[in-house]
Amino acid sequence: MSAGPVVRPTRATVLGGLLGGAATSAGIALTATSGWLIVRASERPVILTLLAAIVAVRAFGMARPFFRYLERVVSHDAALADLADRRSSVYAALVPLTPARLGRRSRSQVLTGVVDDLTDVVEAQVRVTVPVLSSAVAGVLAAGLAAWFAPAVGLVVTGLLLVLALGCVLAWRVESRSRDELLAARAETARIGDLVARQAGELRAIGAQDVALGWLEEAHDALRRAVRRQSRGRAGVAALVLLGTAAATVAAAWLVDPAAVGAPVAALLVLVPVAVGEALAPLVDTMRALARAQGSSARLDALLDQRPAVHDPEHPAAAAVDRPGDGPRVRLEGASASWTGGADQLAPTDLDLVPGRHVAVVGPNGSGKSTLLAVLARTLDVSRGRHTVDGTDVRDRTLAGVRADVAVVDDEPHVFATTLAENLRLARPGADDDAVRAALGLAGLGGWLEGLPDGLGTRLGTGGRGLSGGERTRLGVARAVLADRPVVLLDEPAAHLDHPTATAVLDDVLDATRDRSVVLVSHRAEAIDRLDAVLDLGDRPASPLTKE
Amino acid sequence: MRPFDPRVLAVAPAARRPVAVLAAVGVAQGAATIGTAFALAALVVAVVEGGGLGGPVAWLTGLLVVRAGLGWTSERVAAWAGVEVTAALRTVLLRRWLEVPAEQRPDPDRGATLSAQGVAAVEPYAARFLPALVAGAVVPVLAVAALVWVDWLSALVVVLTLPLLPLFAALIGAATRDETERRWEALSSLAGHFVDVMRGLPTLVGYGRAERQVEVIAEVSRRHRRATMRTLRLAFMSSAALELLASISVAIVAVTVGLRLTHGTVDLRTGLLAILLAPEAYWPIRRVGAEFHNAADGAEAVAAVLADVTTDPDSPVRGPSSPDELGVTARGLGYRHPGTDAPVLHEVDLEAGPGLTVVTGPSGVGKSTLLEVLAGLRTPTTGEVSAGRVHLVTQRPFLPAGTLRDALRLGTDAPDPALWEALRRVGLEGFVAGLPEALATRLGDDGVGLSAGQRARVALARATLSTAPVLLVDEPTAHLDAASSALVGDLLRELADRRTVLAVTHRPELVRVADQHVVLTRAGAEVHR
Repeated sequence: MSAGPVVRPTRATVLGGLLGGAATSAGIALTATSGWLIVRASERPVILTLLAAIVAVRAFGMARPFFRYLERVVSHDAALADLADRRSSVYAALVPLTPARLGRRSRSQVLTGVVDDLTDVVEAQVRVTVPVLSSAVAGVLAAGLAAWFAPAVGLVVTGLLLVLALGCVLAWRVESRSRDELLAARAETARIGDLVARQAGELRAIGAQDVALGWLEEAHDALRRAVRRQSRGRAGVAALVLLGTAAATVAAAWLVDPAAVGAPVAALLVLVPVAVGEALAPLVDTMRALARAQGSSARLDALLDQRPAVHDPEHPAAAAVDRPGDGPRVRLEGASASWTGGADQLAPTDLDLVPGRHVAVVGPNGSGKSTLLAVLARTLDVSRGRHTVDGTDVRDRTLAGVRADVAVVDDEPHVFATTLAENLRLARPGADDDAVRAALGLAGLGGWLEGLPDGLGTRLGTGGRGLSGGERTRLGVARAVLADRPVVLLDEPAAHLDHPTATAVLDDVLDATRDRSVVLVSHRAEAIDRLDAVLDLGDRPASPLTKE
Repeated sequence: MRPFDPRVLAVAPAARRPVAVLAAVGVAQGAATIGTAFALAALVVAVVEGGGLGGPVAWLTGLLVVRAGLGWTSERVAAWAGVEVTAALRTVLLRRWLEVPAEQRPDPDRGATLSAQGVAAVEPYAARFLPALVAGAVVPVLAVAALVWVDWLSALVVVLTLPLLPLFAALIGAATRDETERRWEALSSLAGHFVDVMRGLPTLVGYGRAERQVEVIAEVSRRHRRATMRTLRLAFMSSAALELLASISVAIVAVTVGLRLTHGTVDLRTGLLAILLAPEAYWPIRRVGAEFHNAADGAEAVAAVLADVTTDPDSPVRGPSSPDELGVTARGLGYRHPGTDAPVLHEVDLEAGPGLTVVTGPSGVGKSTLLEVLAGLRTPTTGEVSAGRVHLVTQRPFLPAGTLRDALRLGTDAPDPALWEALRRVGLEGFVAGLPEALATRLGDDGVGLSAGQRARVALARATLSTAPVLLVDEPTAHLDAASSALVGDLLRELADRRTVLAVTHRPELVRVADQHVVLTRAGAEVHR
């Protein structure tokens, strides 16, 4: 699916633009009629003749906030409606792409990026479409009014509008060109910040504090350069608006003939360019928002335009009804796989996972351990070879059918902002509290649960109780236990834990999954000692199972 | 929350200059704006009364050109200040985390959020809110002063109505505070819902629960829209009320001046000046209010950074207690992880000089923690440590994103021949020489392409390059096969000839060649020589 163009006039944005145009026009008119009033008054007429102007000044003064209020309500409401639609449609579009098409690392960052990009794109309605329309409406009105009194001044105001438009185009180009550089620079500073927050101890351990600060300084220098380059856009428009105003005001002053139009109107015409310049200055901000939204939109399109890595067959085969033993027998025969459709990340591999067997997968980073798990979880299909469950090729079965047998525990289980019970129950809707308690107990969280003041009702996640790394991993394990799926895949569940915690967690995990098939990717030698077999992917060509 | 906390300038001196320049440009812009009003009034008078246009035109053009220059400068300075203040704060924060022991650092997740998104929110705060704050403080004062000089009656109107703005804002704020707070909570939980289910998408897909969320998202987004609009209406309403107040005040000035003009008590120039100057007194104050909500996150982040870098004056930062010392001494050492009751280390006495000291003990007895305490990464809860400069090789050694060369040179500036020598000593010379790009091979974020054993040996190679007199090594042979383990054992023995080497290990071979063997138990440390 495509996010579509960033600037899309819709009924609501056009209405917002018209209302905003009315507000901006009222502001310009306020300055102009005030000038008219003062000059007319200085001619010392009968007071009654001033009344109309006095009423007009007050009316414009009140109309501006009134229309501005309406414009903001209309445009924000439209944007929020748009956001609601897009959120659910983008989410629906992401489901078949998850997880294989979300990148191999830091998927939660990719997903957070989607949230931000979506907000940027939708905000463009409020920050770009509406102000640009408002400015156009007000500018044309002002030029028309000026032309009605004095065509020459009308031309001057039109010229000012063209200068502003040109400035916007230039600013947009500067902003667009510096956008990616700036994003990269910001991401790099964030990366260093994240690195030091997490690895300060490791960096101190090897005396690399100054090196880390050097990286930060480099990242900041890149950020400085990018920000400096980008600020030229806004700075240019800000200067151009004032220079244009100066030229237009001087031109208007030369061209106005007080004898022809009368002194009060002459004053009004001299003040119009200043009022227009002041009222349209906020256009400076729109171009940054536009460039940003276009970048976000392109990123969203690139993500959402991908084809799912796996899909349901047209005529799915039924699952084996009379399954021998306690679970499915999963086999890989010469199975290789690729995330991108290009070179294989998993070289041909054989695996025979009989029910209840515990297999460790080892090998250097990049040897295909996570790819193997993705194949077993059926988030990725084999590019060559066979992947069968109980003798049936998985590609002949539905995704849901194959996946229903498999529970995955990775190193970053997500903790939802809801109660502890609901956090587990998503793995098996309808599970009663006793089952949830039992799963927590098996995952080694029994004692922790007892210490919680609200028990299973304790709120976790954002705004709730924080969890330590070990508790989080155990929560993921408890989910897998509660889901009661016969095959459990463990992807470095203890990668982020310190040594004693990791050992304790892995011990509990292996105890909790004793009666199921388990495939464990881990670097921990102690855990591997407890398993039935070891598959070494670094030891090519992939050989039958060996025990080290 | 304070609009501007001057402690920022004390904590991050690098932020002083940009903030000062920002203020100076803001003052100059304010003065030029007031000047423009005079020139414009003079121009209109010249046009209307048919005087010579030359003088006013020159003045107006000159002032607007100056303002254009200042406008250019202020945008550039604002961007510069934004990035400098952010950089200064982030540097202060990270420097502190690199200096203090683990107990004084925030939880990694919180720290990561603070140093990334938190500090980034300071940029708009410094780049947009601070200039608005300067303008809000300077321009109204200048405008009123000019008005007093030009037409004190109009000045009186402005002076009487101006305080109504903050007063009104405060009244509206007070009247809606409870309502706003109540809604704010509901709103942030509604807004957080989408981020939450988005980040949890892989989990939901894994358990087949994702499709169901589409409808939930639509429903929550609709509620979010309604709740947001209720809050926004209130906010827009109060800002409209303030604008109306300002408009009416300006209209009062215009109308009174108009009436006085008809009586001939003031002249045209004065009248024009009054209506051009009066709005300048109001809008900067409204802009401060408008920018404030954009700046709220930044101001909060500033407060959080200040809190983090200025806490705990009682627990001083402990560097190496005696940098020139060649060994390690611990007396009555105890350690308890923050927030736990049971101590990990208890009454540990240990003295290690040049030579090889091996530490053994059952799993979970605190061997890794002992090394961290000795290295100064943790502060002992009881007892004391005295150690020279320390290099610690942990179980998950840090390898930076970059090349193998970068990883090896971390903490030293060793030239390539020294790097090859170090690789030879850990038995990786052949492996690295066989890589297509040798030392220039790129490692991923976390050392992609290296097995756990190779990572461990790279870390050991790095340790041999370090000049620290004390070398602490945690389970150096955990991921190694027998041949590599023997090689590493020999290497440690060799290093121990000139340095203090303290290794945590399970390998009996290493224990046999040690000068000293420390057995760590729950009760303390037993030393065998």
